[in-house]
Amino acid sequence: MEKKTIFVTCGATIPFPKLVSCVLSDGFCRELVEYGFVRLIIQFGTNFATEFEQLVQERRGKTEDTEISNDEFGCGGDVRRYALMDGRLEVIGFDFSTKVQKIIGDLSNLVISHAGTGSILDSLRLNKPLIVCVNDSLMDNHQQQIADKFVALGYLWSCVPSKISLTAGLRASQTEKLKPFPISHNSGFERLLSDVIYS
Amino acid sequence: MNTAYLASLVLIVTAVYVVRLVTILPLFHTQTKVRKDTRDEASVLRTQKSSKKRLKIFVFLGSGGHTGEMLRLLQNYKDLLLNESIIYVGYSDQASRQKFCSLLQDFPRCQVQYYEFMKAREVKATLLQSVKTIIGTLVQSLVHVVRIRLSMCGSPHLFLLNGPGTCCIITLWLKIMELVLLFLDSSHIVYVESLARINTPSLTGKILYWVVDEFVVQWQELRDNCLPRSKWFGILV
Repeated sequence: MEKKTIFVTCGATIPFPKLVSCVLSDGFCRELVEYGFVRLIIQFGTNFATEFEQLVQERRGKTEDTEISNDEFGCGGDVRRYALMDGRLEVIGFDFSTKVQKIIGDLSNLVISHAGTGSILDSLRLNKPLIVCVNDSLMDNHQQQIADKFVALGYLWSCVPSKISLTAGLRASQTEKLKPFPISHNSGFERLLSDVIYS
Repeated sequence: MNTAYLASLVLIVTAVYVVRLVTILPLFHTQTKVRKDTRDEASVLRTQKSSKKRLKIFVFLGSGGHTGEMLRLLQNYKDLLLNESIIYVGYSDQASRQKFCSLLQDFPRCQVQYYEFMKAREVKATLLQSVKTIIGTLVQSLVHVVRIRLSMCGSPHLFLLNGPGTCCIITLWLKIMELVLLFLDSSHIVYVESLARINTPSLTGKILYWVVDEFVVQWQELRDNCLPRSKWFGILV
């Protein structure tokens, strides 16, 4: 990973505008650059492309013309590419990718994700440091519970979608170490399956 | 005279079905403890090899999160589950089917059959439409379940289920089949509760807790506080 990269994913189904706008804020981007990040990849979710474009324009992001093949990021829609912070931070945005695991595994040094279990597992199984951002506008509180549980076990950091909280998470990720996530293969469960199948 | 015959016949049949009901519901079984088994993984796989017939498994892929966990389960236990087995895949959205397809590319020796299950509810449906779709869903799933279940007879088999609501319907039909067909062997249903469920079971979990053969949770507090009959091995996905 020659380019220190942070990957932000909002989950494919429900857009998470607060997270995207916090991540693109001046303060957070400055912090990213200070910690040596040069690339920010964002999966912003379906039906959010126009808003995303707007957010970047507000930040006076320059659109880069160099073509990126949709295939590289496994996206259906367009991959957008911009330069923020006077060209010190490259921003790549797309709606939805089928190669999220490849992006996390091959390109990312740090991941910020919504608190869906699928996204959490994607990062932890690939042993990438993860900050989970809990969507406080969702009705179900399972995301909060699962985030709290994983934080208590030391597998990830969590935050809420505010600039202060997100920045605190970023600082923690650059100074603290996480506990390794245990492997999922369990011989007890395998035995149970085998006993049921061959009973 | 006739009524007496009839009455005794009804009584006998009822008795047979009550006994059958008791035998097929795990609720009435004595709790099998998680055995401190000395068998290692290799011997688990040896058991599998010693059985000559191919394993037949059914999995149901509901939607995003549930599908993701199911695919991770299959991947994690691939030596046992995806070793030249015949897989019956129930699904209700194309995205899940596609994800399953791409997982199975790594296991070309498995044989796969897909069964599409209609969703029980459509948003904004009128009452009459809802009743129609629910009846349609029930009938369609019955046809699928009967076909799948009968083709599993005589082979080692497993129904691996998790959270989607359709799993309740599938289990209902399986249990009715067991009840009606007196000599059918057990369906071997294993339910794995979602990783997102730490303190309370899902609605599907609450219902299926009483009927599935093995109920597995991924958090110790869920077993200890709510579901004492369930088993816990840690995070499995």
